Amino acid sequence: MASPTDTRLRTQAEITARVKALESMLIEKGIMTTAAIDRLAEIYENEVGPQLGAQVVARAWTDPEFKERLLADASAACTEMGIGGLQGEEMVVVENTDTVHNAIVCTLCSCYPWPVLGLPPNWYKAPAYRARIVREPRKVLAEDFGFPVPDDVEVRIWDSSSELRYWVLPQRPAGTEDLGAFELAALVTRDSMIGVGPVRTP
Amino acid sequence: MRPDATEIGDARRRVEALVCDLPGGGVDERAFSEPWELRAFAMAVAAYHEGRYEWAEFQLSLVQAITQWEEGGAGEPWSYYEHWLTALETVLADNGVLSDAAIDARTREVLAVPRNANHHEAHREPVAVSPARR
Repeated sequence: MASPTDTRLRTQAEITARVKALESMLIEKGIMTTAAIDRLAEIYENEVGPQLGAQVVARAWTDPEFKERLLADASAACTEMGIGGLQGEEMVVVENTDTVHNAIVCTLCSCYPWPVLGLPPNWYKAPAYRARIVREPRKVLAEDFGFPVPDDVEVRIWDSSSELRYWVLPQRPAGTEDLGAFELAALVTRDSMIGVGPVRTP
Repeated sequence: MRPDATEIGDARRRVEALVCDLPGGGVDERAFSEPWELRAFAMAVAAYHEGRYEWAEFQLSLVQAITQWEEGGAGEPWSYYEHWLTALETVLADNGVLSDAAIDARTREVLAVPRNANHHEAHREPVAVSPARR
């Protein structure tokens, strides 16, 4: 039997490139489609990430000093909680307030803060979302996501790139004063950290 | 926009039925810690669904990759999905789908593309602002 991988792969960057190469070749040869891989990945995507982001959000809600550090340098604050994985890319957390609502996009491809949110959902990578969320953010949030932002709240859309990845710190819901970080984390949805959906209410 | 949760649950059970017979089955071992691991996992299942190989072939290939690692005397750290990737490449090569040399060449191309090739610069301000209306 052939033994194709006799050279050991050293770094995560190299192995990531190899998997990407393999995927692009299999797609070119018509052996599988991106959609088929995405569908399988989607089954597991919730295991990779969003619960980590949710833990970070819950801590920011309960620990004002941590929140300050998170907003100043999200990569460093996440490392503090043992969440890493980015290689040289910077993460920036944008905070929702009573007057500002934030949402993220990657207008050119699918850059995404995967160490905290896992793999991007299919729609995040779709041209429709990438173009329209910039052109008519309120309409997309209201119509595509059923998540209207009140008129008196400004909407800001942040464009992630390969070296700078945004994600959203949603507002802590009312009536959660008695909840601990563990219960709070369960309220934080992936969509709320993308900025296209609400957090759960207890 | 999200597929129905039941649909995902059913799809997952079907995939679990496939992977439950594979070696190295610990839950912790199977957890994904890097995005490439999930892509490699999904590719192996997708290629099987496309009828490129029998699942038993992949299973055997994975057993061999792990055995090879064991015989190497733990000189390399354990990575379940590196073995998975080795098994996938082996089974694709054995079935004449892709050669190792071709994957090597494409990998070099991928590595040669600068990380910021698609993005000229980082945007430090919002790309769109819709002001409050009152």
